[in-house]
Amino acid sequence: MFPANPDCGKLFDEMDWSRTPLGAREDWSVELKTLTNVMLGSLQPMLIVWGPQQVTLYNDGYAVMCGHRHPAAFGHSFRALWHDIWDAVEPIITAAYDGRGTSMDDIEFTMHRNGYPEETHFAFSYTPVRDPWGTVLGMFCACTEITAQVMARRAERTQRERFRQVFELSPGGIAMLVGPNHVFDYANEDYYAMIGVGRDIIGKTVAEAVTEVVRQGFIDILDGVYRTGESFIARDLPIQLNRGPDGEMQHRLIDLVYQAMRQEDGTINGILVQARDVTDLRAEEASRELLSHELGHRLKNQLAMVQAIASQTLRNAPDIASARQRLSERLAVLSAAHDTILEGGRGTSTVRQLVQQMTDLHDDPAAPRFVTTGPNLKIGSRPSLSLSLILHELATNAVKHGALSVPTGSVDLRWRVVMPEADRFEMIWTERGGPTVAEPRVKGSGSRLISAGLNGTSDGHVEMTFAPEGLRCLVTADLESFQREH
Amino acid sequence: MAHHPRSAPVLVVEDDGLIRMDLADLIADMGLAVIEAGNADQALKVMDTLPAISALLTDIDMPGSLNGIQLAHLTASRHPACPLVIISGRYNPADGTLPEGAVFLSKPISERALKRTLVAVKLIEGDAG
Repeated sequence: MFPANPDCGKLFDEMDWSRTPLGAREDWSVELKTLTNVMLGSLQPMLIVWGPQQVTLYNDGYAVMCGHRHPAAFGHSFRALWHDIWDAVEPIITAAYDGRGTSMDDIEFTMHRNGYPEETHFAFSYTPVRDPWGTVLGMFCACTEITAQVMARRAERTQRERFRQVFELSPGGIAMLVGPNHVFDYANEDYYAMIGVGRDIIGKTVAEAVTEVVRQGFIDILDGVYRTGESFIARDLPIQLNRGPDGEMQHRLIDLVYQAMRQEDGTINGILVQARDVTDLRAEEASRELLSHELGHRLKNQLAMVQAIASQTLRNAPDIASARQRLSERLAVLSAAHDTILEGGRGTSTVRQLVQQMTDLHDDPAAPRFVTTGPNLKIGSRPSLSLSLILHELATNAVKHGALSVPTGSVDLRWRVVMPEADRFEMIWTERGGPTVAEPRVKGSGSRLISAGLNGTSDGHVEMTFAPEGLRCLVTADLESFQREH
Repeated sequence: MAHHPRSAPVLVVEDDGLIRMDLADLIADMGLAVIEAGNADQALKVMDTLPAISALLTDIDMPGSLNGIQLAHLTASRHPACPLVIISGRYNPADGTLPEGAVFLSKPISERALKRTLVAVKLIEGDAG
């Protein structure tokens, strides 16, 4: 038979107890004899502190906790053994001697039982031992090693902590619900941001904490997932949440996943919620789509405009060479007007910019032939293309047949907002000093393009007067539509 | 088609003056009479003054109280036999938004597509294919 405690058993047997405060073994009380017998027969770490001198006896299991203090500590005072932590030990041993037991769930020791320093954990319980008349004779302590449990708990905590960190950092709302009533156990920042920052939800059921979702049927869905274990997955789900700054209701769109969480035995004990507020994302997508439709529309309209200009140019051209030249000039004017629209930043140019572009092309800075007067009026992008084209055609005609075909001729160009109503734009082109004008028998492509008027305006008119002293052209339109951005 | 003799003009409704002018020229070149309007309100006034039109060609997006689709519906209810051609760079209208039998043409319109459409509604003779 192998002794349970060979080391301490030998010490116990060889010790001359008569030289200790406990006296010879045969004189020991029945309580001490019984306890030492139990202790030396047990594989569980055990400790006995006996008598007023607090003589300490222990078995091999406990000896490991004593480290290098064993075997010197065996049979000597408890205070000598734990002198370095006496402040902590003294109250509980004193309590035991006063008749009050103490249990300690988790005491940590560094042990060398496997040849290397090792963190260990024990649960202790100090129990007073009394004689039949109630006098405390000493203290008996049985210890339970709980290192494995502590480590498992710690691993679980670490893993949980890691999950939490992942959850905290993950884009999108995550919440954990426990139990059949869906009590919030955890929610990350994004989840709070989604339902409304600052709402108090942990420890409450979903129905209590986010009351507004009850009538929207979400509790029924959670119940279903909890009952069946089947995940619920939805995209672009409309939901009303009291998430406004003052808790007011807002309509949102969310992507939502409810997933059952199972215990080791497979039974469902909670639901993992993953939710993402996609309201802004979807709105952005919609506006992008709208924008690309709008661009497509503008492009098609401009192609239609270019088509009309090309067709009109070809239709009325005397020959293909002049058609080519006039068409490329007209497209260049449109292109320049476009540049102005883009430079305007928000799609607006001014009448003065367009007039400037025309005079840059047709006037001579050394001997100016144009007198231009007018306010720096904003003009919408559609009318700006037409106005550029009209100015170009007027100037081209003036150079060919009108006032600018002779050195003495000039052009007076003025524009204004018509008072007093201030609701109409008006531009007047007047040629002077050129050859005598007569109304042409055939309308050229230039005149036709001019007569098409200002695109995008309402109530627009173009009026050309072939006065003998010089051509006059009046362009008017409703001011609001003239300036509107389409 | 008997109620819409060829002598009645085709009504072209388009707010862009250049495009309207060119469209009108194209149709006139095919031997048809043309009358122009810059928006739906003007078009309704024109229709009130004419005994008949032989077809309505209209843009969709236009300023005024009606857009081209509404104008086409109104025209269809007043003149059920009048051919309708809807033109736009923006919409490709879903089935059901246009009056029954109306033809949709996407901007910019080719001369060929226009001719084919006018042949199909029997305003001009030719190969509809």
